[in-house]
Amino acid sequence: MAKKPTFSKEIANLLYASHGNPIVSCIQCGTCSGTCPVAEYMDHSPRRLIAMINADLKEEVLESNTFWFCASCYHCTVRCPSGIDIAELMYAVKRYSIWKHQYKEGLVGPVFSETFVKTIFRSGRSYEPILAPSYIFSRGVRKMFEEAHTATNLMLKGRIPVLPSRIERIENLQRVIGRIIPTGGSS
Amino acid sequence: MKQYALYPGCSLEKIAQSYRVSAIETSRAMGVELKEIDDWNCCGATAYFHVDELLSYTLVARNLAIAEKENLDFVAPCSACYKNAYFTKKYLNQDPELAEHINYALEEDNLHFTGNIAVKHLIEVFVQDLGVEQIRDKVSNPLEGLRVAPYYGCQIVRPRKDHEDVEEPQFFEDLISAMGAEPVDYPNKVRCCGGSLIITSRVAALSLVRVLLQSAVDSNAMVIATACPLCQVNLECYQEQVNQEFGTEYSIPILYFTQILGLSLGIPAKRLGIGTELVSTKEVLTYAQKKENDL
Amino acid sequence: MSEKVGVYICHCGTNIAKTVDVEDVAVWAGDQPDVEIARDYKFMCSSLGQDLIEEDIKEKGLTRVVVAACSPHMHEKTFRTACERGGLNPFLFEMVNVREHNSWTTDDREAATKKAKALVNGAVERVIYHQELEMMPLEINPNTLVVGGGIAGISASLELADAGYHVYLVEREPSIGGHMAQLDKTFPTLDCSACILTPRMVEVGQHPNITLLTWSEVENVEGYLGNFTVTVRKKARYINEEHCTGCGICIEKCPFKVTDDVFEAGLSTRKVIYRPFPQAVPKYPVIDTENCVYFLRGKCKACQIFCPTEPNSIDFEQQDEFLNIDVGNIILATGYDLFDVSKIPQYGYGRLANVFTSLEFERLVNAAGPTSGNIVLRDMETPPDKVAIVHCVGSRDENYHKYCSKVCCMYSLKFAHLVHERLPDAEVYNCYIDMRTPGKGYEEFYNRLLEEGTHFIRGKVADITDSARTDEEEGKLIVQVNDTLIDKQRRIPVDMVILSPAMEARYDSRKITQLFRMGCDFDGFFVERHPKLDPVATMTEGIYIAGACQGPKDIPDSVSQGAAAAARVAGLIARGTVYIEPVRASIIEEQCSGCRICNNLCPYNAIIFNEDKEVSEIITALCQGCGTCVAACPSAAITGAHFTNDQLMSQIEGILWDVGKGLESIKKVESVAEIGD
Repeated sequence: MAKKPTFSKEIANLLYASHGNPIVSCIQCGTCSGTCPVAEYMDHSPRRLIAMINADLKEEVLESNTFWFCASCYHCTVRCPSGIDIAELMYAVKRYSIWKHQYKEGLVGPVFSETFVKTIFRSGRSYEPILAPSYIFSRGVRKMFEEAHTATNLMLKGRIPVLPSRIERIENLQRVIGRIIPTGGSS
Repeated sequence: MKQYALYPGCSLEKIAQSYRVSAIETSRAMGVELKEIDDWNCCGATAYFHVDELLSYTLVARNLAIAEKENLDFVAPCSACYKNAYFTKKYLNQDPELAEHINYALEEDNLHFTGNIAVKHLIEVFVQDLGVEQIRDKVSNPLEGLRVAPYYGCQIVRPRKDHEDVEEPQFFEDLISAMGAEPVDYPNKVRCCGGSLIITSRVAALSLVRVLLQSAVDSNAMVIATACPLCQVNLECYQEQVNQEFGTEYSIPILYFTQILGLSLGIPAKRLGIGTELVSTKEVLTYAQKKENDL
Repeated sequence: MSEKVGVYICHCGTNIAKTVDVEDVAVWAGDQPDVEIARDYKFMCSSLGQDLIEEDIKEKGLTRVVVAACSPHMHEKTFRTACERGGLNPFLFEMVNVREHNSWTTDDREAATKKAKALVNGAVERVIYHQELEMMPLEINPNTLVVGGGIAGISASLELADAGYHVYLVEREPSIGGHMAQLDKTFPTLDCSACILTPRMVEVGQHPNITLLTWSEVENVEGYLGNFTVTVRKKARYINEEHCTGCGICIEKCPFKVTDDVFEAGLSTRKVIYRPFPQAVPKYPVIDTENCVYFLRGKCKACQIFCPTEPNSIDFEQQDEFLNIDVGNIILATGYDLFDVSKIPQYGYGRLANVFTSLEFERLVNAAGPTSGNIVLRDMETPPDKVAIVHCVGSRDENYHKYCSKVCCMYSLKFAHLVHERLPDAEVYNCYIDMRTPGKGYEEFYNRLLEEGTHFIRGKVADITDSARTDEEEGKLIVQVNDTLIDKQRRIPVDMVILSPAMEARYDSRKITQLFRMGCDFDGFFVERHPKLDPVATMTEGIYIAGACQGPKDIPDSVSQGAAAAARVAGLIARGTVYIEPVRASIIEEQCSGCRICNNLCPYNAIIFNEDKEVSEIITALCQGCGTCVAACPSAAITGAHFTNDQLMSQIEGILWDVGKGLESIKKVESVAEIGD
């Protein structure tokens, strides 16, 4: 009988192509959190998140906004003295969170990412206007008008696509995707 | 004419089309042809990697495989596309089982990835393949006195690929000098602009943009040069929102390095897509045009 | 005449017995030809186990002994001595490893027992061919060479010299003292470094038993334990040491200054003719020919003009001198270098003026230093209001050095204390990952610093920048760090930053290992013979190591190691003659064709060619018994004592006892010489 993996093992396994050292080698030095340009917006610093993962605090980790604020700038990764690829870890936790459908309420990231994926499946390219609803209302009515203002200006400069573009061999692409993950016709 | 397989990426279609046109114009002027890859798909940016890693690599591998058919090196003007392509190729080359899995999927589009073409960022074509000396020779309109902040952004230097300098790279400054312009000392030149956070975590991204804009002001830069459409859009299109959020009054032109390079090569501004910005580039242009008039 | 072999199989508790059926092996061994007695026993290495061997030899008239137990590294000596006590030559003994090579490699009881039988059988067949051998005497030259005049080298030299033995101390700088001479106060007692060091230095300079060779380097090393011949290059000082009184007028009158980036860490200047520091031993100055106007352009000569001695002490024609010295042992105490912190660009060293290294700060804070001990910024005037001290710069970091440099936490605390002492109103921030204060009085020192009001921030510094974001940050150096204990990213504006860099091996440590024919590890530190039990010896007989060259350490540990190495050497000198193992190769002169193939193959340079006799000869003491030449010789003219062809072949046959059973006519090869007959 195989042993049920701990939460920290699950996260480690999700780092498929991570070329860094395992997250258990973290010495909690804080370089990542000292470097991270968005650390002040995270409820737990990347360093603390790693400590929480290593302590198997699954619920608290998934409830945190830390990894959704990660911009994947990799500055933490190149500086980590233990050689851990922290940016990739953040990706892994995001994937875990979406897979389990468990994340903090009110975050734009999860919905945006899932919509993005659906857009690619449908057309092979991303299309900003379709993605807009996932974030346009996230900051309240006033901000929505600001957003619309920016969007209008860009549209007037011809920088927003009016119609979505599609690749020619979209059906082939869908079958390609289907060979990796069964898509069951609709997603 | 040296040819490359151009992977424009979704941004270059509309929101960053000025990058696209200026890239093609400047490379042509330098004797390089950027041939667009046929029927390319989105690279997955960052959002796809939030959902499925294997699928993301598959999407990228499809583009690499299409480029391989032309047997040309893969060039991405966008740092995120570049980073995805570079590391997908690296991982597939290192892990034959992964490559096999993905090639199995690619069969559905009659494609096969072998990993035998190089992956480059557009700026590498200029600073490595062509070299700053060649560029300096072709510059007919040196932008003397134009103070340019070289904004590398993050994914062009990180993650580490080899033993390159990830904290203090100099190649962008060298390129700006080759244009005859003056690269300023820009302390935050490798600090993130926020990328897709501009959508998912707006305020955080605006704070990042703010630091970059303030830094440019502190360094007395007249314009910030970027090498990535996400950086350009974040720095330029959201300046107004930064001002509203933080009570600042920034109005700094943000241009692609290809646009500034194009000006120094004597290509008219219109052909470089200059004029579609939300922040006026008039000052930069008058600077460049002043030289034109002197000729 | 047949031999009488005693075979003993050890249980080693359950280490062997759990996997190998030791009783079965003993019974089986007892049935083999030539085996007089075979026993199994719980712990052969115990006194009782050894007594078994001793008694059996005496009572049963054993002529050979085989013990199957752990690795010979552990107890070969134990059992050889037991044989000796029983009256048998110790080399008529063979040890078989059925633990590390057998029971510890598998859980398969059947396979392990089978292998044990094979190994024991091989040993039995081999031991029959063993010869009586005697340990070889080696005379020890009572002189010793100590390379490196830092505190470790000084300690080692004084211990040996005080014991009455002669020491040659070679130091590559113009004065002894090493890095310790650059320090101000030493932790945790805050002793003045020069005050405790200079008396030792003077002792070395005046000791009748020490020949001090400064401004000198070792060029070549020949020989072996007890008999080394070392060539030392005594570089030209251009000062006649017979006449120079050390008055220093030449230094005063020299019109040219250069940056002193060795002793003063670049913070001050020195003259072109100079003494590294006032208390230098020896007192003689040295001319820096790379910057001397006379050597560059033939002008000046102020030093010579003003030198008051008769005859003049300045000798521009002086040449490097080569000395050949004969010593019995060599102690390497070559010290350390500091990690180049400009390799971490985000810390701003070099770009930001007020970022200092630890050595620079030591000079600043030193009463005899460039600012007379005043802590000031790079402008050499303004005292800082706020100082940040950064631990772990280049240490504990996969990107630079993985190891911890052991001393930096302590000296970082020391710096904090010195800032509090000299600038009582200054704020001090120590940014660390872990506080490592294991020595005597070290934790108490940390507590003292806590009470002095130092701000301790547990977090490795991410950035040091001058790019201000608020008015408060304008004109300051900002230290950006994640304060992990409160989980907040903090930006701390300070005036001065002191970096505590890793201690590295000397830049040329690899070259030194090649010169002395011993090894260094991946980080360049010299490798000790055993990390736990033998930290001052190396794998090369006669070469010892002491101090920071073996690994980062503080002054008490360097002194201890210097003394330990000296004690080891003194022991050998006191014995006068040591005995080395006779497991060496020798060339049968009559069979040597003079092809010289072996000459270049020897990794220990132990084979020379005798031009007169036109045969090769092995320098027995250098030979380590590796066997390369034995295998290579096309004329089979070389034999390895205790590893002869007969012994090896019979061991192989013994191991393969049950292979080919039932196969007819396998030609048994008795010796290599038979082939081609």
